[in-house]
Amino acid sequence: MSTFRIRVLSKDEIGTKTRVYGLPVRPEANWVYYRYANGQLSKYFFMRLEKRKCYLQIALNRSLPEVRQMIASLPPSDRIIIEVGTPFVKVYGSSGIGMVYQCWSAKLGRPGYVVADLKCMDRGYTEVAAAAAAGASAATCLGLAPIETISEFIKHCAAAGIDSTVDMMNVEFPFEVLQKLRPLPDIVVLHRGVDEHDLNRERSIPLHMIRRIKGTYPVTISVAGCETFREVTSTVFNDADIAIVWRPFYEEPHKMAELAESFLKVVI
Amino acid sequence: MASPIKVFEVFTTIFNFAIFFFIVRMIFRKKKGAPAGSPLLQFLEKISQQARHAPKGAPTSTQPAATPLKTPIALAFSSLSQKTAQMPLVPVPTAKLQKSKQYLQIALNSTLDDARSIISRLPPSDRIILEAGTPLIKIYGAEAIRTVRAMAWPGAYVVADAKTADLAEREVEMAATAGANGITCLGVARVETIDRFIAACKQHGLDSMVDMMNVESPHMLLRQLRALPDVVVLHRGVDETEFSKEKQIPYYQIKQIRGSYNITVAVAGGDTIREVQRAVFNDANIVVVWKDFYSSSVDTVTLAAQFLKEIK
Repeated sequence: MSTFRIRVLSKDEIGTKTRVYGLPVRPEANWVYYRYANGQLSKYFFMRLEKRKCYLQIALNRSLPEVRQMIASLPPSDRIIIEVGTPFVKVYGSSGIGMVYQCWSAKLGRPGYVVADLKCMDRGYTEVAAAAAAGASAATCLGLAPIETISEFIKHCAAAGIDSTVDMMNVEFPFEVLQKLRPLPDIVVLHRGVDEHDLNRERSIPLHMIRRIKGTYPVTISVAGCETFREVTSTVFNDADIAIVWRPFYEEPHKMAELAESFLKVVI
Repeated sequence: MASPIKVFEVFTTIFNFAIFFFIVRMIFRKKKGAPAGSPLLQFLEKISQQARHAPKGAPTSTQPAATPLKTPIALAFSSLSQKTAQMPLVPVPTAKLQKSKQYLQIALNSTLDDARSIISRLPPSDRIILEAGTPLIKIYGAEAIRTVRAMAWPGAYVVADAKTADLAEREVEMAATAGANGITCLGVARVETIDRFIAACKQHGLDSMVDMMNVESPHMLLRQLRALPDVVVLHRGVDETEFSKEKQIPYYQIKQIRGSYNITVAVAGGDTIREVQRAVFNDANIVVVWKDFYSSSVDTVTLAAQFLKEIK
């Protein structure tokens, strides 16, 4: 996987063949130039999330062969984001992320948007670099982490050219975290954990926070912990940009295609 | 009407086939008392036996694997399969922490190659705990734990710093199958997650470690839990250490926690000899260091010896 993205060259630096080790320029267009290990230069299209569009994020947590089959049965839609779950990352490492990225890109016919759910808590930069090299377009950090860690994480994500995501799981007041952060993350995840949902049914997804955060900060909001069509509908109705669905796909991997299509109908 | 020559040809063909099958059978026939044939043959034998013993009308696949089989080959195979089912793929972790002892926990955080060379330089000691760090696990996956376990001396205590935040059972299972003796969970995670984590650790025979990074009062958290964890890790993060120097490792909490609960306490975040001394003086059972052991060097041996000397 190490040969995947080696060096990012900005548009102006193509003729000069200089090595770029600092911050890559993030162009407005959805392409960059990449130089591969063999020296070949290629124009590389990648997926940027568009504003005013809703996405369905499918978290994959099963074993690698099953995940491959699941991706193969998904409809090749622009509006699907693949998330590589934390247990999956901890079992297969960055090579697992690379494999998922390749499968999903092969299915789409162009580079797909893959989120690596790293859940960084401390010193996340090595993990971020590894995930970016493996082909992830976004990585997550816990909102519970120390503020220093989160802001370093966001800077390193920008340096690696990927979207930074802050996961607000178990954070009582996401505003308190966001107001201390400079620069702001690209995506904020409002989260209801799996374990807490199983053991404590009273806890609901904090849908009221979506409009409050979007009104104050220019960030993309995604909501995790949706399980039913009803929950996804109310999430999208409340202005969330991304709905993260995990359990239905985990429990019925053979029904991937139908589930994804019916969820996509809800996510408008 | 068939001519006698054609009839003769047909008969010869059949005869040839019969001889061929007879020879094949002779080759693959099992001698008395000899061990069972190749695994493939055993497998075929088992399948045919199962099909024979299955009640009529029921599909073979629904037949449970533990059906008593009569033939010697099948019996040998079934006992073998039972043995392999009982035997885990990795050796059962036997090392246990003792509360009267003090330990040095070395966190391996850079790359697997570095981890390998550091472990090979370390003196085999029952007072050294090896930790597969979070970056290592997230980059190499469970392979990192397996490598540390494989490279370590026999009976070494290996900790997987998985920093579980959700889906505790799956991560504990992963660490257990990879051969870890202990696994960490975040103290900032939901109480439900930590409860599940501790229960799963008990089930799999691992030591549960709760990492109190960014937790304001570990005491309050411990009171909320259904069962106590085996180890509490008091932690100051690396980024905190680098960017806000005024944050201190809460040494005073060590005695608070040890005084109220019967728990082992580990301290992470201090890297100098002086900080290790402080932690040991304040009654910590385990001192976690990583910065001096980030990459392998000639000094690794002397450093480990120095640290071990401080931790009596």
